[in-house]
Amino acid sequence: MLRVPLAAAGVIVTVIMGWWLVAYVAAERKLASLQPLPDRGSYSITLDFAPERFHQQRLQEAGRLVEVRDRTVYMMDVAPTALHAIAGQYWVDKVARWEGR
Amino acid sequence: MTALALPALPQRRVLAGRWGKALRGAAGVLLLLVAWQVSVPLVGLSSYFYPSPSDVVASFAELMRKGILPVYFADSMVRYGTGLLAGALLGVAMGVLIGLHRTVAVTLSPLLKFLFAIVEVAWIPIFVVWFGYGFKTIVLALVYVVFFPVLYNTLLGVRTAPQILVNALRSLGASRLQVLRYAILPGALPGIITGLRVGAGFAFRGLVFAEIVAAKTGIGYLIFEGTQTQQTARTIVGMIVMGLTWLAIDLCFLRPVERATIQRWGLTVDAEQRT
Repeated sequence: MLRVPLAAAGVIVTVIMGWWLVAYVAAERKLASLQPLPDRGSYSITLDFAPERFHQQRLQEAGRLVEVRDRTVYMMDVAPTALHAIAGQYWVDKVARWEGR
Repeated sequence: MTALALPALPQRRVLAGRWGKALRGAAGVLLLLVAWQVSVPLVGLSSYFYPSPSDVVASFAELMRKGILPVYFADSMVRYGTGLLAGALLGVAMGVLIGLHRTVAVTLSPLLKFLFAIVEVAWIPIFVVWFGYGFKTIVLALVYVVFFPVLYNTLLGVRTAPQILVNALRSLGASRLQVLRYAILPGALPGIITGLRVGAGFAFRGLVFAEIVAAKTGIGYLIFEGTQTQQTARTIVGMIVMGLTWLAIDLCFLRPVERATIQRWGLTVDAEQRT
């Protein structure tokens, strides 16, 4: 009787788990060349497009947003876990170290 | 031959009926989309005033590519799920309590009637003052919306639970908890489910409004932000996502649970008619 709700719940859980897995793998791949990560670091985060307010707000949650130039956002005081979360986003093209201003 | 062929006929008819219904529904949507697309050059307004279906599709693709729509959708669904669950639990608990205790009913009834008259829209500004913008305010607004339909339907269910079963259990020496567990709650279940379905619908509408007023993410916010930033196509994407999401929730969760509850309680004819 409850096959449909259970199947739908299963699909939702699978999609969420798959999403997390893909994000985790993507983050590992993007951060591979930056290991080991410092406690707090400065990074340039390049997107696939010019960032909108949504992206800037998300990035501000991870650290101090210093500057936005074209498709790249420059950030300071970013913790490794926050950087990992950012790098897992599929709209983040690449992450590189930044020496700061 | 005829005797062998007969049993397959109703099944085939049911399937054909379902497919026919689905096809007719799809044809209606397609017709609307074609009429909409054709009307855009005839009307001659800019996409800000009157975006075409292709603009909406392009906007949807852009929102997906930029990662905005998945995050907004997830935020909205988490708020909706939390509000619905908390509101339903609270509504059922209060409904059972009021239904079983006369003193509690007499004490709380005037207050509940008073609060019921105040729509959630009126509460949102004060929730914003107390809890700020975001999750807490939106969830509280949704709890408020879900609470009353679930409460009143649970109350109705508890009060109309088969008295013969309650008396039978009592005469067999069942405790109050056992009477509640084996007679009152199962008897009230159709009422609870009805309340939940009504509350879920109200909460979905409430979610959009709450996100417009008290959030910086979510589908409701997308609908609002789209017009604010002159990206009307995004607003329409938000509206379509809301509509489709509600259809999916109803089809995958609410309707099957309601049907299962009604079937469990022997009202199969009504359940069949509703599908």
